[in-house]
Amino acid sequence: MLTRIAGGHVIDPANGRDSIGDVWLGDGRIVAAPASGKADETHDAGGKIVMAGAIDIHSHIAGNNENMGRLLLPDLRYGHSGHEARPRGAWNTDETGRLYAAMGFTTVVEPAVLPHHALQAHLELADIPIIDKAALTVLGNDDFLLSLLRNKESADALRDYVAWTLAASRGLGIKVINAGGAAAFKQNVRSFSLDDEVPGYGVSSRAIVKALQHAVCQLKLPHPLHVHCNNLGIAGNVETALATIAAAEGLPLHLAHLQFYGYGKEGPRGFSSAAARLAEAVNAAKSVTVDVGQVMFGQTVTISCDVLRQFNARNGARPKKWVIFDGDSNGAGIVPYDYRAGDFYNAVQWAVGLELFLLTDDPWRVFFTTDHPNGAPFTSYPEILALLMDRGLRAEWISRLPNEAMDVTTLPSIAREYTLGEIAIMTRAAPARLLGLADRGHLGAGAIADVAVYAPDRDKAKMFRKAALVFKNGETVVRDGQVLQQPFGNALNVRPVRDRAIERRMRDYYDERYGISPDFMTVTDSAIGRPQPFELVPCPS
Amino acid sequence: MADAWIRGKAATLEAASEEAASLLQRSRLPVIAGLGTDVAGARAAIVLAQKVGGVIDHMHSAALLRDLDVMREAGMMVTTPNETRLRADLLLLVGPGLVEAWPDLPARLWADQARRVVWLCPGGAERASRGGAKIEVIGDDPSELAILLASLRARCAGRPGGHAPLPQQKLNTLAETLAKARFGVAVWSAAAHDVLTIEMLCGLVKDLNTTTRLSGLPLAPGDDAAAVQQVSGWLTGFPLRTSFGRGFPEHDPWRFDSPRLIDSGEADCALWISGYRAASPAWTRDVPFIALTATPDGFRRPPEIAIAVGRPGIDHDSVQHLPATGTLASVAAQAPLNVISIADAVNKIAAALPMVSPC
Repeated sequence: MLTRIAGGHVIDPANGRDSIGDVWLGDGRIVAAPASGKADETHDAGGKIVMAGAIDIHSHIAGNNENMGRLLLPDLRYGHSGHEARPRGAWNTDETGRLYAAMGFTTVVEPAVLPHHALQAHLELADIPIIDKAALTVLGNDDFLLSLLRNKESADALRDYVAWTLAASRGLGIKVINAGGAAAFKQNVRSFSLDDEVPGYGVSSRAIVKALQHAVCQLKLPHPLHVHCNNLGIAGNVETALATIAAAEGLPLHLAHLQFYGYGKEGPRGFSSAAARLAEAVNAAKSVTVDVGQVMFGQTVTISCDVLRQFNARNGARPKKWVIFDGDSNGAGIVPYDYRAGDFYNAVQWAVGLELFLLTDDPWRVFFTTDHPNGAPFTSYPEILALLMDRGLRAEWISRLPNEAMDVTTLPSIAREYTLGEIAIMTRAAPARLLGLADRGHLGAGAIADVAVYAPDRDKAKMFRKAALVFKNGETVVRDGQVLQQPFGNALNVRPVRDRAIERRMRDYYDERYGISPDFMTVTDSAIGRPQPFELVPCPS
Repeated sequence: MADAWIRGKAATLEAASEEAASLLQRSRLPVIAGLGTDVAGARAAIVLAQKVGGVIDHMHSAALLRDLDVMREAGMMVTTPNETRLRADLLLLVGPGLVEAWPDLPARLWADQARRVVWLCPGGAERASRGGAKIEVIGDDPSELAILLASLRARCAGRPGGHAPLPQQKLNTLAETLAKARFGVAVWSAAAHDVLTIEMLCGLVKDLNTTTRLSGLPLAPGDDAAAVQQVSGWLTGFPLRTSFGRGFPEHDPWRFDSPRLIDSGEADCALWISGYRAASPAWTRDVPFIALTATPDGFRRPPEIAIAVGRPGIDHDSVQHLPATGTLASVAAQAPLNVISIADAVNKIAAALPMVSPC
């Protein structure tokens, strides 16, 4: 069947297209316009914006930690708006898929899957309708890796272990979260920086990050090592972020939710925005990519495998309850939080995120996230896009925030406004490139027919909240923000080549250390219980 | 041998599924209860509840909700069985019911392990479970546990121990033992305690983390309650005792307590699932019900419709919660049998329902 999306303003930066025209879909893919010019189905996109389906590279949407958050906060909903007769937006897999799709998102990456809990994460991902998904596998606080480094084993051993873990957990890439920090916390360490060593292993956080970065490069994984730095959320932590950027040493490295590391110690309260310094460093370090982790005001919950940080943040919980989970490797902390516009610190955080977006030159290297749900739920994306595109709107917000907070940021002085083309790069073309997904994030022939059509509006948030049309694999799934049908997508994963000897070694290790077989952590297709739940992404050979 | 029955008479699976669908369809408010099932069965049951506007509840919801109440009122610190096994230098066993909840507990956590094991108020039955290990028993009577924990928490915080059921000296020594632990783990089974006792224990653990490291290891009740709770969490956004009666998921531990719903007459029909063992519902009023169990026997009143189902992980492959890892994991069938799984049986009933427009 041939579908024609006719006469829209097509914005497809990956293919250099920014003009009025048609987009053709056939058999689930984007196709060239047929010679006959005849379509089986035509959607009029006249006066509308046509982009590829959006891709979210970092959003905590599945897994045991997310689920613990649901159990901890039964009152928390997506976009809660007070007393409704029929509350929508339950925080569950169904609404996650529906709400993402309604905004024109078609691929979302869950960035923190613990290897021992990978099966649950994939079961949850499989129950999220409409969108495609992927998982980043978390390493860097696990005994096997730390022991390899302590014993100065070869880079090949580490590479094979990373490949084995990725294959068992069906990950798309590797994430490291406060490298060594969770392991150190189990030994009662209360603060942990880039050059601190994990007791008992004598391995520094920096050494863990570098070893994983090299393994990821050696395996030619499409996605660079995804790093959650040390010292998240602390005044003066910009130094940690700058040191981590320097540690990239010209090799690819992705720094997650940089906003949470953009803090200096200036000003009367010893807390200030250091976003300008950080953006300058990012602009200069061409091998480094970042996502922002924007904060928006309102009730949310922070869910993080950075157990140490979450433990230290526990007394700031709003409401006052929290869970700290010492896991087999990273574990997690679940700390509810209410970002308040009248709170000095929260207002600075809000500004730091926007500064990072606006002061980073290259939209191909800065990614659009709230670190959902940590900075804000993903349902706040439309408001953030509006803030990026409209300095007048920013000025209005700034006028309502504490002056003393705005005084320690540069935000009021920034005039830049994102264009639709830059938004399309940041939310489509660049994420596809960063994740190695050649057939996504663009509208060239051969790409997967994931397309979002928006009706322009002076209210940009309204435009992005309810897409006029969304196609997933060529099927119309959303019209005027309403979900029409809920097919199930796939989880994207990589399976790099590895030495078979690692299988035997891991069996022996699990037997000796845990007294069980590693099979319990191996995610099989049949365990997921849906037809073809996975899609393999090739690694360049 | 038959594998389905309608009012006691052997029937085909198709006929039984249609009859079951019809019963659920006619019901004002059906409950899907028992829920002794694996991940696939729980997913199917929750999707069915959504379709028929029913309530989901587990036979062990009461115990699940005690831990959950503490977590969502005050929070808690928890760890895994693996970390406990590898790292704990002090194991604080709290109250009775531990070995019953996890029969492998002695083998996994203290046989052949060089760690200090202290058992507070084990109760008579479990003293025999100690094996050869050297376990220090403090307190005999489980009914004294709450006050013992309260006194201990006070002592650990440097306050007087109050009316502890222990000599002051012993209480001080115990408080010192906890403070000196490098990674202590408190193990309990919610089935044996009330909410305030669990909250006191979790509060003690939190307090001690101001200076040292301790964590908790709550043992899950049986019949895969932990897996079903997880599935309920992601599919509905809520734990068990959740209703789709108004077209969207609502959670309330009292309103959606299945025995209460049936005994009060609010619910008029049930789908009872118990795949791991023969277990009967706790309600006392007679309502027509469908039973998905390994055998159709053992009920006070026979079910309207019965379908014989496989035991997850024994008769067919399964994903369930493993007590040894504290995770969901694949479990291969011990001896595969050609018998329908709970998930497939539930899906058959769902497929026999008339089509309804999605809400």
